[in-house]
Amino acid sequence: MTKSSGMILDGECRPEGRGTGTVPRNTTSRNVALVRAVPMLVGLALAAGLARSQAADSQKWAKVTVDLPVSRTAFPPGNGADIANGQCLICHSAGMVLRQPPLTEAEWTAEINKMRTAFGAPVPADQIAALAKYLQSINGGQQQHD
Amino acid sequence: MRRSTSLTSSLSRRRFLARAGGIGMTGLLGASAWEAMAAALVELPFVNGQRELATSFPQKGAMLLQRTRPPLLETPFEVFDRGVFTPNDRFYVRWHLANIPTSIDPAAFRLNIRGHVQQSVSLTLDELVREFEPVEMAAVNQCSGNSRGFFSPRVAGGQWANGAMGNALWKGVRLKDVLDRAGVKPGALQVRLGGLDTGILPQTPNFMKSLAIDHARDGEVMIAYAMNGEPLPLLNGFPLRLVVPGWYATYWVKMLDNIEVLDQPDDNFWTAKAYLIPDTPFANVVPGQKGVKMVPINRMVPRSFFTNVQDGAVLKVGHATTVRGIAFGGDNGVAKVMFSSEAGDRWQEARLGPDHGKYSFRQWEVPLRLPSKGPHKLRIRATNTAGSTQPDHANWNGAGFMRNVIESVSVQAV
Repeated sequence: MTKSSGMILDGECRPEGRGTGTVPRNTTSRNVALVRAVPMLVGLALAAGLARSQAADSQKWAKVTVDLPVSRTAFPPGNGADIANGQCLICHSAGMVLRQPPLTEAEWTAEINKMRTAFGAPVPADQIAALAKYLQSINGGQQQHD
Repeated sequence: MRRSTSLTSSLSRRRFLARAGGIGMTGLLGASAWEAMAAALVELPFVNGQRELATSFPQKGAMLLQRTRPPLLETPFEVFDRGVFTPNDRFYVRWHLANIPTSIDPAAFRLNIRGHVQQSVSLTLDELVREFEPVEMAAVNQCSGNSRGFFSPRVAGGQWANGAMGNALWKGVRLKDVLDRAGVKPGALQVRLGGLDTGILPQTPNFMKSLAIDHARDGEVMIAYAMNGEPLPLLNGFPLRLVVPGWYATYWVKMLDNIEVLDQPDDNFWTAKAYLIPDTPFANVVPGQKGVKMVPINRMVPRSFFTNVQDGAVLKVGHATTVRGIAFGGDNGVAKVMFSSEAGDRWQEARLGPDHGKYSFRQWEVPLRLPSKGPHKLRIRATNTAGSTQPDHANWNGAGFMRNVIESVSVQAV
């Protein structure tokens, strides 16, 4: 670990505050500029041998407020979709479930039980089997493409 | 339908299905089908690998969408060809719990140190920056489950390709110095670290991870307030993130606000029951194997990747070109990177780029001239300074952790 050079930029934060809609063009181009600028700055700092600076550390802290996109994806229709929409979506969006590889009913049962015991998902015991059967029936890669 | 699972590192068979794509997904995706049709789609090289290239996350550029809530965003692999430091707006994102504060007021934020200490301490961000010696370090942050999508047989979890990792120049203060301010009492065993995020349900355990007291005080573990010269993006842990160099990212607690010194072993879910690996070389077991001792995941193992050649690339026979990529040593520096264009029959040493420190990505490159027409298999293998080398065969465990098999790409010479 090296002692810092104090080269850090004044860290004024620029929250993007984007909603779920389209990204304004000027925001996108600024991001592109940042992509290019950051490695260059880092490279310059390293090339300078991390020379010590007498300047006091001048990190500035600005309030950051952002909007996180909201998922509107629902589980596909089928027996048990109502359980999935009612239970799984409490804590997480559907996307990661739909992006799983094909899993067996036993593997889905293990996932449901992990959600219940480790994370407190309120899936009633008498709905576990129906939910596992449903999740197996919509297995990733079987319906989604082609 | 099933496709065969490829073991390549790159986003092969990539398809940008802009606008015209997405037909046929309507039934499955329901209300979001329209959005999917408007977005670029990327095909990761494993079954059910289609991912949207999302641009709607704050302070982030185009990212592979694994999950919207809580966000799981993968770095598109071509970003790694542009340099050893991963830009903040392309750095991958992984949250466990969905109550993530979306507004942070630095003036109100406090970092609390408490527990088995002489006196509890509550620090403002300004105090942290001004009253402790700043340190900087380049270090790779890699998800325990990076590359899980390549596991065979497949396992449940975030279906990442190889982009759940990134390298940044972190700046902050030593955890040791902050602990010393509070004064660790004799008998301390562990330091438990927690952040501002919480679960939706009250019964969901808060995300916390613990380090052994000697590890926490080794002078390398740091509390970062800057990443590549800027404040951290909120989704990467603004305003503070623990940096545990050489260890998997599960320990790199985001939005760190709570440091608790323990004199008893931590029994919270995330330390005691989650992120466990088989206590075997490369955390490798046979699928279905029972009765294996499990231990918390810990040090990273070496890896290397091609960044400018993808599976299925077509090269000109006899034409001189340069193949390049990145490597990292895991918990130690990169000692050497070996390249083979003969499917591993013969190996040559790649030239290494500038050394940014033992925990950083390091670029490698090698001149290549394919002598004959037809298929060629290129392989890349890193060895770290402790002598650990990437294995020939992929590891397997039920959680999909710690993949570090030698990467290979199949190219065609014409």
